[in-house]
Amino acid sequence: VFLWPSGDSNGATSCYINGKWLDAHYDPVANLYTFSSCIVLADLHGDGENKLVVGDLGTGSSNMKLKVYRGTGLMSENTLLDLPTGLVSFLMDQHEPRTPAIAVASGPYIYVYKNLRPYFKFTLPPLEVNALEQDVWNQAREDMIDPLSLKEMLDSIRDKADVPLSVRSLRFLMLDPQDMEAFVNLYKEQPIRRQTVITCISTLKKNMADEDAVSCLVIGTESKDVYILDPEAFTVLTKMSLPSAPTQMDVTGQFDVEFRITVACRNGNIYVLRRESPKPKYCIELSSHPVGLVRIGKNVVVGCAQETLQGFTQKGKKLWTVCLPAPVTTMSVMDLPTRGFQAVLVGLANSEVHLYRDKNLISTIKTPDIVTSICFGRYGREDGTLIMTTKGGGLIVKILKRTAVFDDRDSAPGPPLAQSIRLNVPKKTKLYVDQTMRERENSVAMHRAFQMDLSRLRLAAARAYVKALESSLTPMSSSLSEPLRMNAVVQGLGPSFKLTLNIQNTAVCRPVMNLAISFLYDESLYSMKTAFFKVTIPLLVPGLNYPIDTFVECLSDKGISDIIKVFVLREGKSAPLLTAHINMPVSEGLALN
Amino acid sequence: MANEENPLTLLVASEPKKGRAPKAPELPIPERKNWLIHLHYIRKDYETCKDIIKEQLQETRGMCEYAIYVQALILRLEGQIQQSLELFQSCAILNPANPDNLKQVARSLFLLGKHKAAIEVYHEAGKLNDEDWEVHHNLGVCYSVIKDYKNVCVVSQAEEQLNAALQLNKQDRTFLTLGKVHLLSRDTDKAVDVYKAAVEFSPENTELLTTLGLLYLQLGKYQKAFEHLGNALTFDPSNYKAILAAGSMMQTHGDFDVAMNKYRVAACVVPESPPLWNNIGMCFFSKKKYVAAISCLKRAHYLSPFDWKVLYNLGLVHLTMQQYASAFHFLSAATNLQPRLGELYMLLAVALTNLEDLDNARRSYEQAVALDHSNPLVNLNFAILLYNHGDKKGALQQYQEIERKVNMLKDSNTEFDSELMDMAQKMATALQVGESLVWTKPAKDTKFKQGSAGVPIKTLGSSQQPLGTNQALEQAMSSAAGYNRSITPRVSLSQPKRSSVPLAESSGLENPPAVPGDASGTPRPEESDTPDTLPPLAAKPKVKSKSRQELN
Repeated sequence: VFLWPSGDSNGATSCYINGKWLDAHYDPVANLYTFSSCIVLADLHGDGENKLVVGDLGTGSSNMKLKVYRGTGLMSENTLLDLPTGLVSFLMDQHEPRTPAIAVASGPYIYVYKNLRPYFKFTLPPLEVNALEQDVWNQAREDMIDPLSLKEMLDSIRDKADVPLSVRSLRFLMLDPQDMEAFVNLYKEQPIRRQTVITCISTLKKNMADEDAVSCLVIGTESKDVYILDPEAFTVLTKMSLPSAPTQMDVTGQFDVEFRITVACRNGNIYVLRRESPKPKYCIELSSHPVGLVRIGKNVVVGCAQETLQGFTQKGKKLWTVCLPAPVTTMSVMDLPTRGFQAVLVGLANSEVHLYRDKNLISTIKTPDIVTSICFGRYGREDGTLIMTTKGGGLIVKILKRTAVFDDRDSAPGPPLAQSIRLNVPKKTKLYVDQTMRERENSVAMHRAFQMDLSRLRLAAARAYVKALESSLTPMSSSLSEPLRMNAVVQGLGPSFKLTLNIQNTAVCRPVMNLAISFLYDESLYSMKTAFFKVTIPLLVPGLNYPIDTFVECLSDKGISDIIKVFVLREGKSAPLLTAHINMPVSEGLALN
Repeated sequence: MANEENPLTLLVASEPKKGRAPKAPELPIPERKNWLIHLHYIRKDYETCKDIIKEQLQETRGMCEYAIYVQALILRLEGQIQQSLELFQSCAILNPANPDNLKQVARSLFLLGKHKAAIEVYHEAGKLNDEDWEVHHNLGVCYSVIKDYKNVCVVSQAEEQLNAALQLNKQDRTFLTLGKVHLLSRDTDKAVDVYKAAVEFSPENTELLTTLGLLYLQLGKYQKAFEHLGNALTFDPSNYKAILAAGSMMQTHGDFDVAMNKYRVAACVVPESPPLWNNIGMCFFSKKKYVAAISCLKRAHYLSPFDWKVLYNLGLVHLTMQQYASAFHFLSAATNLQPRLGELYMLLAVALTNLEDLDNARRSYEQAVALDHSNPLVNLNFAILLYNHGDKKGALQQYQEIERKVNMLKDSNTEFDSELMDMAQKMATALQVGESLVWTKPAKDTKFKQGSAGVPIKTLGSSQQPLGTNQALEQAMSSAAGYNRSITPRVSLSQPKRSSVPLAESSGLENPPAVPGDASGTPRPEESDTPDTLPPLAAKPKVKSKSRQELN
């Protein structure tokens, strides 16, 4: 009898106790980088005890492994040569004992293991090679063309060909001219091949629906095809094409009778393939990418990247939509045939796993980390085991309690919680009441006082405005013939300051001529070389900014400052066009005599 | 373990040796990690995704189309639209036959605001695959955002493309865009049809339900509006728009507690919504919690200082509280923001009357009468003012105007407020035009209503005052304790009007241009101060300028 060790992991998981699940095992450092497509539970040795087979992506570029767990321990490890895309267990023949083989899809190959020993390697049939490309390389092989003309020809083929170029030609086109020769010599002897890769893998019963019937492999490829392979001879039984590269599949039925392959594709659509039709029969167009695809009975449940879970009929009619609280990370079906229970497990990015039956949320599992893969089934001798791996590489095993009951209550909630939260309305204060009373009693007086003050304010504002206009204190001159703008900058710490006046003619096209600038200041405090000068540029072109520098010397060392007035004058007129009052800073240096 | 490993490595390693010349290393397939990139991308694990893309692009020297494609998608999500556009363009160069690349180029162009360029690229993509609803949908969106609704050609192009998209594949967002296009071209019937079809297609989409509900609300089909809003709330109990619209309808029907319950939910979701706090404020007002009403309305005003509806309500509540000076400020501000609403000037006039500024009150009434076309109340209040100040002739003129408006409204089966009718009748008696046929019948009805308890309007105590008495003034001067009692019935009268303002707010959410029609059409302001009569006062000219300009 398979026994779960207890105690060693309780400390880590006790805080995640859920009423329906027993925490069997939690290893936060199992170091697994994998997806739901690379996890399988299978009775590898025919001893009635299911093992957990995991295709581990290692670091994502190296250290890929095929790991087998038994109970809480790692039983064996096989090195994989490339990233595993998918992993399935299937019965490939009628031989006794009836132990399933493991097929690992990786790149363009499927590695088949029996008894955890390498048994067979299947390579995807190569794709059609462009005939023109073939010709060109043939010529190259016979040294009939030099690399540069080869490049030209390949270029023209690439631009208009229906069949894409092979990797070799593409790589060749990217080379620098000096490397071309060597590249051609290296590769010209070899036949041109175009290879594609597997993107997903699944199984399909051959001709019987039994649990232990022989299954075909179904593989989806980057070249937008779906192949069904014979389990014994590994020949392609059927090839079907899709409009886009498949990402995941769900297969049901039997190859010899009738089957249905539901494929989620990279273009965000879901296609349904059936026997005897090389093209998809139905299409579900989603508004966002499908992350998870699961079939429950006759319905398809899709977890979308837009944080929704949607149900469809087999023919693609939308049944329902549920909004999820976080993005979906993975999905899996939870099937308990002994209890006649089927539901969908949805891993979410908020570290929760939700269990949905149709559109109703029936249970939530909190996990210590974001779950990246889920697998439910028989592990060891326990039927209801939930296996999850986390983003941080952890492995979680939970067992469904035999007493657990999932209420199929409608999740349509009652009034939301927020309805009972009090509104944030401030209390009335005594001050408020007093002021209200005061206003009630004296509203007429208050109103009149206000109107009086308002009038006074307006009068004062108008007076100030008129005064500013009269003395041309505005930053823009109001005269129509000389529309000028001026601002002044004072630089320096003292006692010498540099005064920069920026003058701009804002007229559309008319230049301004004959301007003069004069300064007015307290002569006991400041001195300037020239208190009056004509603008050095005789003509101000519209739009340009003319900086005019002058120097001011502060004569006082008492730390006082004053205003310097600047007037922009027009020759022959005594009223200034513009006036600016410059608040001089306090001189921080001492005057040198 | 090691034993088990060996045969495999041997097996794999020996394979290539057999087939080909020994020296040439096998070139990696550029697409070999596409599935992994896609897997991380759809799981929104963008960091890992970028790492893999980087590795893959290094390995293939930038030849991997899909890696660039996803890189561009991620860049766009991160807001770097220009860079994403460039990457998509390089994808389109790598594989010109893929319509996806062109679609994304167009999408990036669209996001950059280059709509015309986007349309061109979408047409290119459409040439590669004409059966793509997405291309048609996005073309429709592009045409609809070229802000040229008068140009029939562009609008019909948008409609055509969106309809084509719907024929290929029904998507909620296509329905929404099509509905919006119809609304923008002022074709409400078509919009309703589109939304109806959309709701039929996806009955649980709250956005569609809410939009349709609001549309019905605007059209005055309250039953249907409430049905759809209610459905939206069933599927999403915290849908802000639906709550606001449904709440305002409940307010109209006097279900203040239910409305408040809904508003509480909305207050959690969107705590800084001005219309929400406005509506909550008016709920409190209806429940006679004036201080709470004022604080809610002031919050709404703080959040949206230029919303005249909030100012209107603030003015009204302050009038009710007899804080005439404050009321004047709010109403005056409101008239500055909305100078075309007669009722606003009427309220302003009421405030001014109470502030003993008769000249301006009269001016304000004149403005109100000039602007208003359907509300007899405006004329009634004006008539009272004129009568109280001895201008019988003017009052008579206003009275005739009231009759005209009432006759007009009678045809449309509008129910009149009994206080209004009472008051008008008294006015008639006082002016000795008496027993006008217009009034007798409805007035009797209301008397019966008053007799039978349970009608929302409970008493009309204050309106029983004879004209020309000093009672109202006394009332105004009376203490707060006394005040509450005597003023209560008037407040209850002012409810129907107030809740109609928040109603306009909620529908205004969707369609700003529709508001003015709504606001002036539905409100039946039963001014609380209607019956107030003031003793003739000596004219005191104080402020020369017109009252509504005084906050300038």
